[in-house]
Amino acid sequence: MSKTKNIFVALAFLAPALLAVACLRIWPALLSVHESLLVPRATTYSFGNYIYIFGDPIFQSSVWTTLFFSIVVNPLQIAAALGLAILLNNKMRGTGFWRTLVLLPVAIPASVSAVVWAAALRPDGLANALLGIFGIGPQPFLTSPAQALACIILVTSWIGVGYWMTILLAGLQDIPKSLYEAARIDGMNRWQQFTNVTLPQLRRPLTFVLVADTVSNFLVFAPVQILTRGGPQRSTNLIMHEIYNRAFAAGDKSSAYAATVVLILLMLTIVALQFRMMSDKGEK
Amino acid sequence: MGNIKATTILHAAVIAATGIIFFLPLWWIFVSAFRPEEDIFRYLSPLTIETFLPTRWTFDHFITLFESTFARSIFNSLFVAVATVLGGLAVCTLAAFALSVIEFPGRNLVFTLMIVSFLIPFDAIALPLYQIMRGAELQNSYLGLILPGLGNGLAVFLLRQFFLGLPKELREAAMVDGMGWFQVFWRIYLPLSGPAMISAGLIMFIFQWQAYLWPLLIAPATEYKVAAVSIAQFNSAYGIAFGPIMAGAMCISLIPMAILVFFQPYFSNSVASTGSKE
Repeated sequence: MSKTKNIFVALAFLAPALLAVACLRIWPALLSVHESLLVPRATTYSFGNYIYIFGDPIFQSSVWTTLFFSIVVNPLQIAAALGLAILLNNKMRGTGFWRTLVLLPVAIPASVSAVVWAAALRPDGLANALLGIFGIGPQPFLTSPAQALACIILVTSWIGVGYWMTILLAGLQDIPKSLYEAARIDGMNRWQQFTNVTLPQLRRPLTFVLVADTVSNFLVFAPVQILTRGGPQRSTNLIMHEIYNRAFAAGDKSSAYAATVVLILLMLTIVALQFRMMSDKGEK
Repeated sequence: MGNIKATTILHAAVIAATGIIFFLPLWWIFVSAFRPEEDIFRYLSPLTIETFLPTRWTFDHFITLFESTFARSIFNSLFVAVATVLGGLAVCTLAAFALSVIEFPGRNLVFTLMIVSFLIPFDAIALPLYQIMRGAELQNSYLGLILPGLGNGLAVFLLRQFFLGLPKELREAAMVDGMGWFQVFWRIYLPLSGPAMISAGLIMFIFQWQAYLWPLLIAPATEYKVAAVSIAQFNSAYGIAFGPIMAGAMCISLIPMAILVFFQPYFSNSVASTGSKE
């Protein structure tokens, strides 16, 4: 009945957050659009910057590298996270301890992980020492155009997999035990139980992880900037690093803004999807 | 019977091996932090027990580290993270309360707008935000570091979920007793929301502690440099001195690790509740 009167009360409570959204999110987004439509020294809007970046081989290769990276890293991390969640979903004593070990890298800043992996991936570092046990000779890792992106994938996965595992583990624990009992009575083996019970029941957390993981992998920056600076031969030049390079190393702000708008649109699409899944859950 | 036991032992062994593989790089940091510079890469080929257990111990790297500007960076990181948690909790709890307890037209619209725009990781808009903040002369200031972390979509979402779970009668009874909205918030909802505040605070702390791109842009001066940025620049400052790097990595890692171990249930719950079904 007094719903309309409540607007002013609600606005008072919401004021700081709305101010933050307006100044720290909407304004920067609009500024990007504005700047991206102005080619250097121009006074009228045009799509010049967009035409320029999409015709630029360096930007093109960065987009392709980012897409290739996404296509490889997302399924890989989700499969690893699911495998770990299933492995660690039991009531054995001490399992909590091992779970914590898998989760620990999540808490450490990505820049710290990158710096440490830079040491571990040196030709005389820990990674080659471990490979040595299996009789594999020294690998060039970060200095090889063929292996550098794989190293970035390894480092980002080491950092992030524990986080996605935590979400999937909670999903696994929500599956009613009775479903598995029924499946066993029907004579299903372990694999059939996995495909007929586990996967369908995990649909929502798996979709969530897919979306959230995709967003975070589009924005990988610290490992690239610290480990490879986009090289060798631009083989690891992911889009965040490309934007940073354009704006701050090359000083080409206009085209960096166009690239930023492309990135924001991509993020908005993915985040809107993520939000829909989160609020579906909230209303039920 | 014997068969079941064998698979259980195998299962446990695989679990332990996985945990150890994930922990190995961290352990290597800790070991390297305490051994002389020349020993760090010395015992790697072939791999022996000395690789993972120091034979000679030294605290020199920590002394070097804390005689440098790194001590200041650690302080900056802590200060910025704690300020973000306090300020962020204030902003996010107020918003979450309005979006869950107060009924007003357009609530869902505001909620959608707010969460979607907060969920865009601010690294994506680092460049335009940098230009705005530079215009406002917030370069190299704590305010410039803290402000972007104050609105956290996940925190608003978690707190709102928590408030929605509290019975409506609480609010109705209080209002019959003559309490205003702010009193309902302050005297009834806030005291009940401890666990949700811890979860939201943890997310904001870890988020800010890990931030790299934004602090790199907005606060490059030594006085305001945070630890995550300063460790990445060690290479140039020390030549390639891996000892202090490892000691620094250890210092930066121990704080969030301790928090994670101590608050693990809160952290896991808050992470899990975003993705799992009801």
